[in-house]
Amino acid sequence: MFRRIWALAVKEFYHLRYDWWMPAFMLFGGALELILVGWATSRPMTNLPLMVLDEDQSPASRQVITSLENTGTFTLEALVFDETPIREAMVQGSIYAAVIIPPDFSEKMASANQVPILAVLLNGAESTPATAALRAVEGLAREMGQEIAVKRLGIDADEFAGFDFSVRTWYNESFSEAYYTTPAELALMLEFTVLLFAALAFSRERELGTLEQLLVMPLTSFEIIIGKSIPVVLVGFFDFSLMLSMVHFVFKVPIRGSLPLLLLLALGYLFVELAKGMAISVFSRSQHQAFLLVMILGFVDFMFTGYAAPVESMPKFLQGVAQFIPAQHWLAILRGIMLKGANLQVLWPNLLALLILGLVIGAVSLRYVRRALS
Amino acid sequence: MSLRRLWAVAVKEYNHIMRDPITLGLVILAPTVLLIVMAFAVTVNIQHVPIAVLDYDRSPTSRAFIQRMTAGDDLDLYAQVDEFEEVDSMLLRGKIKAAIVINPRFAEELLAMRSMPLLVIIDGTEPQSGALALDHIASRTEEFLSQKLAQNLEALGAPSDSLQMLDLRVRTWFNPGLKSKNDVVPGLISLVLGLPAMSVALTLAREREHGTLEQLIATPVGRSELILGKMLPYILVGLVNVVLIPTVAILVFRIPFHGNYLLFFLLSAIFLFAILGMGTIIGVFIRTQAAALALSFLVIFFPAFFLTGIFFPIAALPEVMRMESLVLPGTHFAIITRGIFLPGVGLDVLWPYAIMLFGLGVAFSAIAALFFRKKLG
Repeated sequence: MFRRIWALAVKEFYHLRYDWWMPAFMLFGGALELILVGWATSRPMTNLPLMVLDEDQSPASRQVITSLENTGTFTLEALVFDETPIREAMVQGSIYAAVIIPPDFSEKMASANQVPILAVLLNGAESTPATAALRAVEGLAREMGQEIAVKRLGIDADEFAGFDFSVRTWYNESFSEAYYTTPAELALMLEFTVLLFAALAFSRERELGTLEQLLVMPLTSFEIIIGKSIPVVLVGFFDFSLMLSMVHFVFKVPIRGSLPLLLLLALGYLFVELAKGMAISVFSRSQHQAFLLVMILGFVDFMFTGYAAPVESMPKFLQGVAQFIPAQHWLAILRGIMLKGANLQVLWPNLLALLILGLVIGAVSLRYVRRALS
Repeated sequence: MSLRRLWAVAVKEYNHIMRDPITLGLVILAPTVLLIVMAFAVTVNIQHVPIAVLDYDRSPTSRAFIQRMTAGDDLDLYAQVDEFEEVDSMLLRGKIKAAIVINPRFAEELLAMRSMPLLVIIDGTEPQSGALALDHIASRTEEFLSQKLAQNLEALGAPSDSLQMLDLRVRTWFNPGLKSKNDVVPGLISLVLGLPAMSVALTLAREREHGTLEQLIATPVGRSELILGKMLPYILVGLVNVVLIPTVAILVFRIPFHGNYLLFFLLSAIFLFAILGMGTIIGVFIRTQAAALALSFLVIFFPAFFLTGIFFPIAALPEVMRMESLVLPGTHFAIITRGIFLPGVGLDVLWPYAIMLFGLGVAFSAIAALFFRKKLG
């Protein structure tokens, strides 16, 4: 039996040699995606083009402009003299924000109890940079406001600690985005690659008409399934290890918990996705169909993983659905082990859920695939 | 080029698509599902973030403070604990996303106006809810504090309005409230409408995998006819999505649409031509569908995600990436969709992007046709 399974697995690998794009993609596509994500999210928003309309033209207003530039968020695109060029630039999408300093700004700054006004215009058609711009201007306004308050109240500036309270960020002391995004991407890439690879296993043979040949060979359906699974498991697991070392060594994300436990659970999770992929594979009549099903099912999973949007903010019904998504528990386990250094005592609810889901999905899939093959 | 032969290829491909209704349904459904899932992710209001409070002061002031923190839907008081270890364990188990620790002399120190006698702990593995919790705690602390300060000042006989500091007036154009969904969802349309391109790459690779491409070559059909004929049915399928997807965006996600629908339809067709051209190049280079799939992910899907300015603004990209983003049809189309949806601009602003898209489409098809001959000639 082992000899026959082995022969089939070797045949599959033989295939891969002639069709190396897919395994290459599985190995390095994930790594590439990781680089893009890690890199895109680690860059702070800087050099956003800004227009300033200074109607005050005073030392105080020029001070504001300098402070705006010093935030590091902005590059001064132009000093304008009325609102028309601002409107034009916004419609064209060439600036994300503009600041207007009204004529009485310095006067109010100097007075004892008047409130100086700053106006900021934002380009809502590009909300991400516009929000970054708003945050920067708000920070500046808060600083200036505190200076004014301290001056007017006659408090000793050194004694006044402001409204800032101390914040500690656990598990991710520098509040780095990479800590959050790269493990999540790693978890999801494992799902997508295994699902896709497994989904092509039988759909391809069926489309090319070679499935019949496979079925008339002296192999039981069980042996066929195992033989088909071996390359998926090997390549998938290698892929995971590669991406994990990248997350660790390139993006400096720590692995605080037990590495053997993480690898073991990754292997276990891999089998759950393998079972799903195999079921898609025998269901699909062509590779095209298998691909589309993987995209749809994979992205629906993605919605419930808590990566894109936190599960606890979703409607109650969807929170319930999320409990039945293996990827959600897997992501909680992966993050728990990597970032929080969690052990089995902490992770057992997720692990139990994953185990039950895995057994159910595995059993249903095995039954379905075996029936389809015989 | 003969239109009759082009038509013949298109009809053949059309018949092929129609013979497999499940795949056709999926081709049409996949972009919509993708849009719904991703739009949902940016639409979810992050609310009900569970927090724990450890109150060492237990004064009326600290109780009032806690009350203010947990009023409303943003932060939910998961537990009020007595020991720091409990905070630790709840964070570890993911039961709470943030914790507030109130110092023993909270009320006194607050009265002295020196510092903020408060420690906030954030779960750094969940930056979205963590950052949100932090924002809420900060702004409510500020409110609470300025109220306290005003009371103090009035007690001292000073006018409390001298606390008013700087009035920042924010005006947001095109998208009141600066809701990210209003510009991300139109941007996503350019991502999901690119999916048919992957289908084109697959069908071209399929002909070769099955060995039927040679049969096609043997007919008097020219290569540009073959390529355009292959693209045409998918442009049609894509146009179904051009109707379907904005409808979902407008009706389900309530994205305002201020522009001209006809213009949107027209420019979408040009975009489909350009992005399908990309798919065709892949299909021409590759011999198996699995490989075509892998390459489409690398060339079409990932860059569309990261380099077209949907989530990460182009202005923040480094120079090299910015150049690359210019040859991606999605970059220009994302500007077009956002422009038509939000400010509702017309061709007078969008014409450079439309021309760019058309140019890319012509260039991609030409490259595909050129290499097609070399590979098989």
